[in-house]
Amino acid sequence: MNQQAIFDNLAKAIIGGDETEIKENTQTAVDDGLAPLDIVDLGLSKGMEVVGARFESGEAYLPELLMASNAFNAAMEIVKPLIEAGKQQMAKHGTFLLATVKGDLHNIGKDIVGTVLDTKGFEIVDLGIDKSTLEIIEAAQKHNVDVIGLSSLMTTTMPYQKEVIDTLKEMGLRDKFSVLVGGGPTNQQWAEDIGADGYGETAMDAVNVAKKLLQK
Amino acid sequence: MLTMLDVYERAVKGPIMAEKDFDLKVFTPQLMEITKKYDIRYDKDNPVPADDEAADNLFEAAVEFLTRVGVYCQGTNRVMQFSEDEIRQALREAPGKCFPGAGKDAGVMGLRKPDENKYPWFHCGTGIAFSSEEAMTNMVEGCASISGIDSISFPALEFIRGLPSVGGTPAEFYAAIRGVNIGMQALKRAGRPGLSVMNLISTAATAQSAMAASAPQFGCRTTDGWLCGAVAEFKLDLGVMTKIAYLKSSGCLVGAETAPILGGYCGGPNSTAVASTAYIIMGVLVYNANYQLHFPVHFKYGCTTTQDVLWTCSISAQAASRNIPMPVIWDPYCAAGPNTKMYMYEAAAYILSVVASGGPSFETCHPAKGVLVDGFTPMDVKWNVEMGKAASRLTRPQANEIVKQLLEKYESRLGEPPRGNTYLECYDTTTGKPSDDYVRLYDEVEEELTGMGVPLD
Repeated sequence: MNQQAIFDNLAKAIIGGDETEIKENTQTAVDDGLAPLDIVDLGLSKGMEVVGARFESGEAYLPELLMASNAFNAAMEIVKPLIEAGKQQMAKHGTFLLATVKGDLHNIGKDIVGTVLDTKGFEIVDLGIDKSTLEIIEAAQKHNVDVIGLSSLMTTTMPYQKEVIDTLKEMGLRDKFSVLVGGGPTNQQWAEDIGADGYGETAMDAVNVAKKLLQK
Repeated sequence: MLTMLDVYERAVKGPIMAEKDFDLKVFTPQLMEITKKYDIRYDKDNPVPADDEAADNLFEAAVEFLTRVGVYCQGTNRVMQFSEDEIRQALREAPGKCFPGAGKDAGVMGLRKPDENKYPWFHCGTGIAFSSEEAMTNMVEGCASISGIDSISFPALEFIRGLPSVGGTPAEFYAAIRGVNIGMQALKRAGRPGLSVMNLISTAATAQSAMAASAPQFGCRTTDGWLCGAVAEFKLDLGVMTKIAYLKSSGCLVGAETAPILGGYCGGPNSTAVASTAYIIMGVLVYNANYQLHFPVHFKYGCTTTQDVLWTCSISAQAASRNIPMPVIWDPYCAAGPNTKMYMYEAAAYILSVVASGGPSFETCHPAKGVLVDGFTPMDVKWNVEMGKAASRLTRPQANEIVKQLLEKYESRLGEPPRGNTYLECYDTTTGKPSDDYVRLYDEVEEELTGMGVPLD
């Protein structure tokens, strides 16, 4: 099998979200002597690009994206140690902390953003739901993240997005992190009013805004 | 019929599971498997299908899905499981009606069948944010004054004495009782003091504030309805379960609030239809609710008027109206704002889809996805009531043809819908009258839809 056919098979297995198939294909690629970074860039990532584009256009949904993402991660379990052994660095856009603020138990919007960011090359720290302001700030410091993403689906929990930003200011940490807000009742105006660095109406918005913030 | 104590027992004795595992290893895979097993297929050509057998098949899929998956309790990290016998018994015993409102404003909120000519229950939703208490009370008064409205929602107060109404704080409690108080005053000014408020307590998102502010001395009545929200997908927290127990014990009307997300863990329209129908069974079985506020919503557009969501609503409304005795208020969100033709097209498409499909009730369509401050007008309500009456005169095939034409008019603009105008921008707030332009636009669309075969009065 030529190299291009191997890369195509890797991409196809990612698109199909088949963990067993992707593990077999990845091992075959490694055994055939393909460079680990090429396996990622020319095979696995190409598959993720296709699924990401389908998700963006509405042809695919979260389950397909998650299955592809799980397949990608399964392949990376084989490839990553080889990359690290070769001291090759994978390109990452930055580290993104995600949390749903205190009093709010909704997770789907946050999970979609996390999955899309993951597929776009961000390192994700997902704190989960119902997280207090100090828990969020402590985790941001501990993981040295670039962006804090705050989700809220209720008008009564939106003020906690502002509280995180205000507390960062009080602690003298505001300049260390970019803060992005999102969730059903939030909008661009709200983001500006509370001093956030960006607002994402959709998961793709969040990715694009985060990329712009990190380029600054 | 299970009590909330029975349900709670499942929440402490059911199998323990991480929330992520419930989402990824149970919910989504089982939903996909059941959808395939029952061969539930999205009909791209017919947003309002007319196939009773398909609707009944969807109901059976939903029963098996709920039996296999259960409901996740976020407080105990356990799965509450229910048998098929329990589900079918609960459906047999459910009354299928409730009695909201008091005095001359009292009514019977019951069921409808597909293609039935009975008017739906008109629920007027003003549950959006307003820039001032004055704007809010004027809107409640204006909407309650519209003839044909059977029940109403109150908006949420975002501030009390300048402090944000943060969940779980005294500010939330004080804002909650003030919101009820000024809303009730507005109903009295409208001459509809007994009109049922079906979204109590909109300002109190946390269970403790909702229960505290529900004490009768603060103005709520047992003829009103309290919304108790499930977290998507198929999750309940202990606070909501406690709130349901409190409300049931107080003789209040309990409303199950559920919103499957098309494109999220539910996947596409075919599997979301299964989840949507299962949610209505959940309203009967787990909540023992008197009514349900239900809104499948699109994950990308944040509205309920895309073709795939309309189909999901239509087929699951048919499955429910033929098999599940639950008075469901179908709750729409339009992408376009008030005073736009697109809003009127979207609202018409949604109402035709659910009313012809046997939806017992619908809420007036939220303009601008419900997020535009002051973005709701009495003219919107008038349009919704007119459309609801017209839709009840149509069969599913008739509604289907009109919905297809309406989709052609707006679907390509869902990504960048017109903002429209706020109440303050398109109304004379002194006289309470809409602007001439608004009246003209309304008349134009009314004439256009009449020409398309909508039997408007």
